[in-house]
Amino acid sequence: MRLTRILTFALVALLALVFLFPLYVALLMSLKTAQQTFQSFYALPPSLNLSNFVNAWKTSQYPTAILNSLLVTAISVALIIVASALAGYAIARRNKPFYNFIFVLFLSGMMVPFQVTMLPLYKLGKSLHLINTHWGLSLIYGGMGVQMGVLFYTGFVKGISREIEEAARIDGCSTPGIFARIVLPLLKPVTATVLVLNALYIWNDFLLPLLYLQDKHYRTIPLQQYFFFGQYSSDLNLAFAYAVMGMLPIIAFFLFMQRFIIKGIAAGAVKG
Amino acid sequence: MAQWKRNLRGEMWYLLFLLPGILLFVLAVLVPLVTGARYSFTDWDGVSPKLHYTGWENYANAFRDSDLWDTLGNTFKFAIIVTILVNILSLLLALLLDTYLKFRNGFRTIFFLPNVISIVLSGFVWSYNYSQGFPNLLRYFGLDITSPLGNPDYAMLGLILVAVWQGVGSPMIIYIAGLQGVPGELIESARIDGAGVFRIFQSVKLPLLAPSITINLLLVLTGSLKVFDLVYVTTNGGPGFATEVISTFIYKTSFANYKAGYGMALSMIFFLILVIVTIVQLAIFRRREVEM
Repeated sequence: MRLTRILTFALVALLALVFLFPLYVALLMSLKTAQQTFQSFYALPPSLNLSNFVNAWKTSQYPTAILNSLLVTAISVALIIVASALAGYAIARRNKPFYNFIFVLFLSGMMVPFQVTMLPLYKLGKSLHLINTHWGLSLIYGGMGVQMGVLFYTGFVKGISREIEEAARIDGCSTPGIFARIVLPLLKPVTATVLVLNALYIWNDFLLPLLYLQDKHYRTIPLQQYFFFGQYSSDLNLAFAYAVMGMLPIIAFFLFMQRFIIKGIAAGAVKG
Repeated sequence: MAQWKRNLRGEMWYLLFLLPGILLFVLAVLVPLVTGARYSFTDWDGVSPKLHYTGWENYANAFRDSDLWDTLGNTFKFAIIVTILVNILSLLLALLLDTYLKFRNGFRTIFFLPNVISIVLSGFVWSYNYSQGFPNLLRYFGLDITSPLGNPDYAMLGLILVAVWQGVGSPMIIYIAGLQGVPGELIESARIDGAGVFRIFQSVKLPLLAPSITINLLLVLTGSLKVFDLVYVTTNGGPGFATEVISTFIYKTSFANYKAGYGMALSMIFFLILVIVTIVQLAIFRRREVEM
């Protein structure tokens, strides 16, 4: 029994090392100079040298890209949460054919792959002047995220007892009042789920920014990285410093929000 | 009358609540879907203001297009292998992490970590590891390898490994949640009846995990059929046509080759394929699930 436990641990630890290996190489590269890499690929650098990071910070528009990513993610997630909480509440509380139809419409929308809407979205973005704006991109993310958001919120609100709301209505509280004062505070867990799942997706998304943010001042992190790698393909140590810088914010977010992310994925599976 | 008015006012609020969601949905999904369907019946090039309706010509051409069949073949090969490998590995990890293991939360974090990194980054890191990292490591063991991404025979395999590395996180979480839902008494009584680890897995855990398996197979398969970023940033479909998948093919046809009408017809066909895959898969697996 003890032996199986040790063997299991050894197996898992070995797999974990294999999983971490590519990231270890990235970190190693970012801390060495080209010459040190050439001399010995896997040797640790003789001293801690952050010059690659300093150079990458200077030559790339890292601060701008971070700001762009933060703005796009924040606006999109806010839109998704507000729109899906309101719609999910309405659908859950009015069990009528029209509301159910809207619910099914959102559900079937989830089947539509981005490849189908990609080109028309680009065309639409051009005619509505949404290209090269943060809010334009966010509106599209909002429309893409609201479908799953409605699914989550409708399911969650259906699980909340109506009694408090009915009591408030008898006391003369209006529908928006009930939503804001009674329902909203109860929605925290599902909001955390919707927030983390969408934030991860939007922060890392590549294709939509590739279509919508052509001006380099608006590029988000993944897009900026894509162009940076193309531009500095000869100075790999610099490119890796930039790659590590790009990973840090999202890894920090993940470690910080891990509990919610894991709950959110498990909850999402049950809903599906 | 007053009653009727009050009803309307009550209903009006709920309708207003629906409005923002519907507007966003119409803008991002419904309008593009309808206009896209319309474009698929035209010879539009994607830039000029003029377009001509050509009926079903794009669709007829698509069925004769051998490039389309090749990309569909690549796409399904990629998606099916990724789906199988990701599910086996994530189920194995979930089973291992569901035991009384030291640092199991730390391990869970490590296996999930690749999932949160953008595909642009992981594609870059892996391309480099393939060309320098692994060859340098394997040289210690006397093996000489070159990057699979540059070889038409192995490029797809190279991409599959990256996709598996990055894809096991979410299914693993779903399997862990599923395993936690297996009642301890069942496992205990199976053990008393003399069942070993494998027998317990086969006869107790696996049947009860069926809903998790269904959802994971569906999520990973539909997700991998839609693969774009990974191919676009690492091989861009090459070498030759070896890793061209349907998404990159549609992207190139629509944007780089100025055949937007044809590209839209391809996307509509792809949409139909996805719907069929989803329905067939749900029909097959839902029947096998057991009720608790």
